[in-house]
Order: sequence, then structure tokens, then C-alpha cells
Amino acid sequence: MIKVNKHSTASSTIRSILVTIAVLSLIVCLTAGSTQAVGLTINKTTAQSNQIVGNNIIGGVPTRITWEATVGANETVKQITLVFPEGTALGEGANSKATVLDDLTRLDAPQTSTISAEQTTVTFDEPVASGLLIRIEMYFIALPEASGEYRLTGSYVDSAGKERELQASRAISVISATTVDVITLWMDDQPWVELWNSVLFLKVFLNPQLIVASIPALFLGWLRSLLLVLVGFPLAIPIGLAISFLRMSKLRIIRFFAAIYVNVIRGTPLFLQIYIAFFGLPFLGISIDSYILGILVLAVNSSAYLAEIFRAGIQSIPKGQFEASASLGMHPAQTMFHVILPQTIRRVIPTATSEFILLYKDTSLLAAVGVMEQMMFAKSMVASTGNMTPYIVSAGYYLLITLPLTKIIAEFEKKLAAADDNSSAPDDKKKPKMSLLERMKSIQKIKALRNKK
Amino acid sequence: MSKKRSLVGLAICLMMAISLSLVGCGGSSGGLTITPGVLTVGSDCDYPPFIEMQGGQPSGFEYDLLAAIADEMGLELVYLEPQNFDTLLASVAAGTRMDVGVSSFTITDERKQLVNFTIPYFDSNQAVVTMIDSSYTNAMDLDGETVGAQSGTTGADWVRENLGPDTELKEFNGASELMASLVAGGVEGAFYDEPTAAFFVANTYTNSHIVQSIPTGEQYGIAVAQNNTELLNTMNEAMIAIKKNGVFDEIFSRHFPGVSPPSLAA
Repeated sequence: MIKVNKHSTASSTIRSILVTIAVLSLIVCLTAGSTQAVGLTINKTTAQSNQIVGNNIIGGVPTRITWEATVGANETVKQITLVFPEGTALGEGANSKATVLDDLTRLDAPQTSTISAEQTTVTFDEPVASGLLIRIEMYFIALPEASGEYRLTGSYVDSAGKERELQASRAISVISATTVDVITLWMDDQPWVELWNSVLFLKVFLNPQLIVASIPALFLGWLRSLLLVLVGFPLAIPIGLAISFLRMSKLRIIRFFAAIYVNVIRGTPLFLQIYIAFFGLPFLGISIDSYILGILVLAVNSSAYLAEIFRAGIQSIPKGQFEASASLGMHPAQTMFHVILPQTIRRVIPTATSEFILLYKDTSLLAAVGVMEQMMFAKSMVASTGNMTPYIVSAGYYLLITLPLTKIIAEFEKKLAAADDNSSAPDDKKKPKMSLLERMKSIQKIKALRNKK
Repeated sequence: MSKKRSLVGLAICLMMAISLSLVGCGGSSGGLTITPGVLTVGSDCDYPPFIEMQGGQPSGFEYDLLAAIADEMGLELVYLEPQNFDTLLASVAAGTRMDVGVSSFTITDERKQLVNFTIPYFDSNQAVVTMIDSSYTNAMDLDGETVGAQSGTTGADWVRENLGPDTELKEFNGASELMASLVAGGVEGAFYDEPTAAFFVANTYTNSHIVQSIPTGEQYGIAVAQNNTELLNTMNEAMIAIKKNGVFDEIFSRHFPGVSPPSLAA
């Protein structure tokens, strides 16, 4: 009984499904019939960004428009006319060409095409069959200068010679030119710029338009690079200091491991370390934001160099001072933080600053693994313009930081040298006194030790 | 003493050799190629099955094609060390280091402003590669995500033109780095040429797959400096010649079995 029941409900559902399918297919047929009047389904209409920097489409500047449509069932296309929005202009060498594809296979499609500021017409020698994809690329078309949404309209002719309206394309958003765009466009027309760019070297390395475009474009990259090192370097200081203490530890095993850390990091290229961190860590299931990972790699790398700088700095302080402090009853940690380190800091500032400069320049290596920093910005500009000028401007941005710092180091070293000279000039007289004091203190210390024992 | 003298001698020899080679370079600029009798090729050498380094030697379809073309032209084929793709066209345009750039360059009118292209030798499309375990089903799913492409490629251009402004595009030097980043989770999807994508997902990065092939119908051409039309014409003639005598089709079918070779028409 139950089975029969189930069966009857099942058959009724099947029947209702069949009815729905019939109704649906009727609707589909009707709508298909109405779309068949359109015959061409526009898949997309896009324009390539024509900003030197940025991803927008500026009005009044030539760009490439791509229009794609699929030929509907039972339809053929002999000719397509695309009408540009009013106010469109043609750039030098403007042209249009159609590519016909059967799925992913490019077909030979002999054609003639004409183009004007109003429209472009592509006529195929053989009508394009149904189901095929037509892709029309229009090169060097300047869309209207005023910002807004623009559509391509137009018509097509089928093999029977009937002309039909095209459905309107999706809109292309156009913005009006930015200040930088306005300046570079103005420069394009200047005779002195033309003269300058007629020299290949100047054109490729010091292109005036690209200098103007690069400066604001690379600024964000410059900040990002600077931030990498401004966070990474301070992070490296405590790590480096800790490692330098471990390097001077009384325990051999600790010294051993600290030495391995320093030597492995200093002995391998930073580039390699970056690759290992970026492509290796994810395999361990560790996923860190690439910018933060970049900072961490820089900090670890720099910490090894700083460790050696600090160690050298600490060890350059005469041993006598440790002993003197000890004799004054200071704890070793107190000695380190109140006597030794303040002097060490002064001594290591020049070398540590050099390390800062090196690290700052090394941030550029992160471009290879996709961290958005200055080099990356410059690289993508060079790639899109085929011109080296963004690299030169980028060099200027690096120098903006490194030159003043180099100058500061030089000044500081001069000061240190002067201080050393001052202390060493009357050295001959002072030295016996000092050493006498030291000797007395060490004797005291030895005595104290003896007494303890 | 004698050791010192021989060192000085060696140094002088070296200097002479260097200056001679420099003179040689300068003097030959009028010929068909930079170094007479040699066709110097620049490529990024990281785009299988077209070109890749195997045991320190370039190999692949483009290498075999260039070898056949050079043979036809009576020139010796020399590949430079792998070049950066994004600056390769500029190097070709400069015309001082390499005669031609062959790195699966899609012929576009923008690029034609910088260099000339030979007749197309390959029809290509774009592809989107994602990890198999990801949920993306087509290119537009990646709108607003972090995606990758090779710097200076039509793939990078496609992303900029077709995906929305919220999409973050990371650009990489080579296709291998792009794929390594995809596998490492640095990007959600990789956009590059379909034949190379198909090769990589089948052979190297088997835990990734092509989620969508994008029909673009782009065609590869060999880039030649604009001031060297003689070389361009000779290369075109050589390409037509090897198409006629069947060498081109033989090479093509060896690398792309089952695919019909292009007509090599302009």
C-alpha cells in the first residue's frame, strides 16, 4: 500500500515537472525568439587604462577598446558597425581589427575595416557563422574628454543583407584627466620636449613626461619602502643586541648557537632568505601577510649584522671599565646598561647607520616576491611604458634618504675622531694616571676575590 | 720576477682582447645582425613549452623554431642568458645587445610602437589558474581578490582591464615565480597564456588547475628593432620558407601534437 502510494505521488511529481518544463521551454523559446532578433550577444566592452600610472581611462587620451560578442543561433554576421560616443577623437595610427574565435581556436577571418571619429565598420569577406566569437579591438581611440559613462552603439548586417540594431554595450567609465595627466599631455606638444626626446639616451632614461608622471606615482611606493625599514630596523636592534650578548656568553654552547645564527644569516644572500621565507613558510602552513613577512625577514637579516656591530662596539670598550665598575660594586647588568652600552651606542652609531642604509636599499629585493614597495611600483611602470625613466626617478627617491644619512655618518665620524684625538693628545700625561687607577682597582678586586675564597 | 712579468703580459693580452672585442662590436652595427653571422636572441627562458632552461640550455618550441630560422638564414643561433620579460622589448628596441626578442610576445599595436614584429607563429589565449581546492570557478570570481600575473604581459593587462578596482594585482618576473606564489597562497589566481598554463598544471604544479580559458585570439611574433627592417624582412622570408618546406609544421607538431599549425600569414 505504502509503495503504491509512493509511486502515485512520484508519478504526479514527474507529471508536474514535465508540465513546468514544457511551460518553461515555451517561455525560453519565446524569449530566445525575441533575442534572436538581436542575434549578437555582447559579452563585454572594455577599455585599456591609458593612465601612465593608475588604472583609469582618461578622456581625450588614446586608448584601446575591446568589444566582444557571440553570434547567436541561426545567425550570421557579414558586417559590424560600432558607433563611438559623441566627442570621440582618433589618435595617430587609429585602427580596428576583428578576431574570430571558435571557442579557443582563432579562425582566419579576412576582413576590411574603416575607422573614423564617429564609428568603425568591419566587413568580413565570409559571413561569420553562428556560435562564433567576434572580438573587435579598436586601437588609439580617444574617448570624450568629459568624465562619464560611455557606451558603444551600432548595428550589424547579416549574410542576407539585413541590417539590425546592436544592443547597447556595457558602459565604459571615463574620468577627466588628472593634473599629472594634464601636465604630461601639455608636455607632449612642447617643441623642447620633442627635441630632448629625439636623443635616444635622454628619451629612454630621462623622459620628461615620465619624470613628471613617476614622481607622484612612486611616492606611495617610497613611503611603503621607508615603512618597511623604519619598522624592520628598530625590530632588529633588540634582537641584534640579544644575539651579541649570547655571542659573548660564558657558556660555550650558547656562544656556539649564536655564532651559527650570525654566520648563517651573514653568509647567505638576503635574496635567498626572502625566497625561502616567502615560498617555504607557506608549506609549513604558516601564512603571514606578505608586507609583514617582508618586515620580519629584513629584521632577522639585519639583526645578525647588528649583533656583530654591537659585539665589536662592546668589546672595543676597554676591559678595565668592567673591572672598574665591578670594583665600585656594580652588578654586571648595571655595568652593561649604565657604563658600557651608553659608550657603545656612541661608537656604533656610524656603522649601525650604514647598516640602516644597506637595509633600506635591500627592501628593493622584496619586489621579486610581490611585496608592494618602491621597486615594484617602478617596475610595473617600466613594464607598461617600456622606458627606464621610472627607475631613474626611483633612484632619486632612494638617494633622498641615503645621501643625508651618509652625510650625517661622515659628520658623526669626524666628531668621534676629534673626540678620540682630544683624548689621545694629552694621552702621554694621562695614561700613567689612568693605568695607575686601574691597576689599583684591579688589585682591590683581586684582593676582594681572594678574601671571598 | 718572471711570474710578475707573465702576469703583466696576461693583463696586457686581456686588455687588448677586450678593446678588440669592443671595436668589433662598434664596427659591426651596419650589418644584418649585431655580430656578423650570429643571430643573438633574448628571451626570459621561463615559459614552457615555448622556452625553458634545461640543464643550462634553452629548449622548447621557440628554441627549435629559432634554430630552424637561423639555419635557413645561414646564421649561428646564440641565446643570451635569461632576460627579464618586462624590459626585454626595450632591449630589443635599443638594438645593441640582441637582434631579436623571442619570449611568446603577443603582437599588439602598443608594442608595435616600440618594436616591429614578424609574421605570427603561434595562436594563443589567456588562462586563469587557481588551486584545485579553491572554490573559484571562473575569472570573474577573482574580482576583488589578490591575483598575480607576469610583469609586462597581456595577462597583467587583462586583469587591469577586466577585473574591478578592488582587485590587487601582484606582478612577478617570471611564470615560475608567479606559480610558486600561487601554490604558496600569495595570490588567489594566476593570469597568463593558456598553453604555458596548461603545461604547468599538467607537469609542474599539479595541485592547481585552469578554471577558465579566456578566448583572446592573441598571436605571438618575434620582436625586431624598428631600425632593422632588413632583418625583419629576411626573418619573415625564412619563416615562410620553413613553412613551405614542412620544417615549421614538423617542429610545431612535435611540440603541440594534435594542434593544427598556424598558416604563418601576416
